[in-house]
Amino acid sequence: MAVVEVRQLEKSFKGKEAVKGLDFELQRGKVIALLGPNGAGKTTTLRMLSGLLKPTKGTIRFSETNENEDIRNHIGFLPQYPSFHSWMTGKEFLIYVGQLAHLSKDEAQERANELLEKVGIANAANQRIGKYSGGMKQRLGIAQAMIHQPQLLMLDEPVSSLDPIGRREVLQLMEELKEQTTILFSTHILGDAEEICDDLLLMHNGKILESGPIKELQIKHQTSLLEIIIEENPETYIDRLKAFESIEDCKLEKGKLLVAVNDMDKARTQILQAALQEKWPLIKFELRRTTLEEMFMKVVSG
Amino acid sequence: MQWMTIFKKELLGDWRSMKWIWVPLVFILLCIMDPLMTYFMPRILDSVGGMPEGAVIEFPEVPPTEAIMMSLTELSMFGSLLIAAITMSVIAGERKSGVAELILVKPVNYFSYITSKWAAKLFLIFISYSLGMLASWYYVDLLFGGLSAERFFGLFIFYFIWLIFTVTVAIFYNTIFKRPGIVLAASVGTYIALSILAQVFANRSPWFPNNISSHIRSLMASGEVSSDLWIAAGVTVGISIILLIASNFSLRKAELAE
Amino acid sequence: MEEITSMLPIIAPLIVIQLVLMIIALISLIKAERTNGHKALWAVLIICLGYIGPILFFIIGRRQD
Repeated sequence: MAVVEVRQLEKSFKGKEAVKGLDFELQRGKVIALLGPNGAGKTTTLRMLSGLLKPTKGTIRFSETNENEDIRNHIGFLPQYPSFHSWMTGKEFLIYVGQLAHLSKDEAQERANELLEKVGIANAANQRIGKYSGGMKQRLGIAQAMIHQPQLLMLDEPVSSLDPIGRREVLQLMEELKEQTTILFSTHILGDAEEICDDLLLMHNGKILESGPIKELQIKHQTSLLEIIIEENPETYIDRLKAFESIEDCKLEKGKLLVAVNDMDKARTQILQAALQEKWPLIKFELRRTTLEEMFMKVVSG
Repeated sequence: MQWMTIFKKELLGDWRSMKWIWVPLVFILLCIMDPLMTYFMPRILDSVGGMPEGAVIEFPEVPPTEAIMMSLTELSMFGSLLIAAITMSVIAGERKSGVAELILVKPVNYFSYITSKWAAKLFLIFISYSLGMLASWYYVDLLFGGLSAERFFGLFIFYFIWLIFTVTVAIFYNTIFKRPGIVLAASVGTYIALSILAQVFANRSPWFPNNISSHIRSLMASGEVSSDLWIAAGVTVGISIILLIASNFSLRKAELAE
Repeated sequence: MEEITSMLPIIAPLIVIQLVLMIIALISLIKAERTNGHKALWAVLIICLGYIGPILFFIIGRRQD
């Protein structure tokens, strides 16, 4: 079931189109990565979803809300560079935004403690935010976005400004939060998307180029390729391999035989049988799947 | 309640930034400076000397009703500048720093957001102004002679209406501009433009907000609240309400992010 | 001279207010992590400009967020 449906969403700034007609849905309970290079329009899209920017055209429909209900009751948002009142303590800030989200003072207090614990800054709860490090602010940012248990949590580049350890921890935190809410996060780092997302929206130049479950996309963009390394005179095997009808092409690259096949199962059986019977000095026989990275490069470069 | 939450947070912020200490002190200074100087300057000059023997210095007789007006003159010049300065970043600052991105993504009612901040600043200014004027009243009473409570509170209340207007103007610009410096410039520019307009049309527009001071001056002299003062006060309150409503629209229309 | 000393109790509040402003401005300057403009410059302004210095510092010098 879709939490949000986006139709024909467009946004221009002073005549310059930043987002050019998006159509997508976010499925409940999933982690969705909005992946794209810098300047693709990711931040603009998230800001429109959170209500900070008004779409030039198009509609955003939250399935949970009634006609007149404030959608902000159901969303949590962490901007790329969150800023806080630096004179407040982390806990004060959480209680403040909690009350703004219509929690009672007691509820907000309880929820603040719970979240400070969860994001791992409980020991800094009573410190002024001005003294927090970048990583701590990022966690506080996630906590403030989660304070009212939103149905959709949106995070703009949540890990790209963090060091490897901080990045690891925030990804883990997102993994845990996934049980409670739908998460949409933007990133330009493929590894981050690959690591935790279920669904992927690939964005480039203000358009969604590909979308869907990441597993399906991987299969879709997979080129079937076999990598074979043979100990002696690999070049002599090229013609032998090309003779199989299941094999389209074969070439030698840096001592590796790269074999493009049209039927993986058949090619695998035929080659292995031949190798066994003819006693090929095999070192390596590998079925190579393209990674998301290759797909990303392929899609983005057209 | 959301309104109270923001109101209290504003008060706490002003406390932590020491506004609750320095703003009242500056208001007291502004209010008592002129009456004190007027009283002491000639006397100091006289006792320090430098005057030829036998020269008699005339101490101008200043009636208490005029002495207390000196406080208002100072407030009109520097008080409004101060008010614009402490109000300039109330909303614009949050938009500029990006805190507004976190706050306004929460289900915050824009009108509560604006009016609670407006009320919190007005509260700080009310307390500061009260302390300043009470101090001024004390000194005027001591140095220039008695001033009736009726006149004092007449002046006190009507002039506060003008202060409400100055805060509201600054709040309004907060919803239009994102940079506190520009909010300050626009607010001060508006006060100056209004006072020039008030002088140009002095006779034809007695209800102009800026004329409240001059109506108060005649209130001090006659002891009676003129109908012009009532009208000017009413108009000023009306414009302030309109400005608050306009602020609500302006903030709604504004894109809160780039 | 006699008259000046008799004025002192009345003028004293002015001096006290000025001192308090200067002190809280200095405390706030020391506690601030960053200021707009150099800290030492602000210290000089706060001490030398009478009550104008502290006011300028609170309005312009302090970073408020």
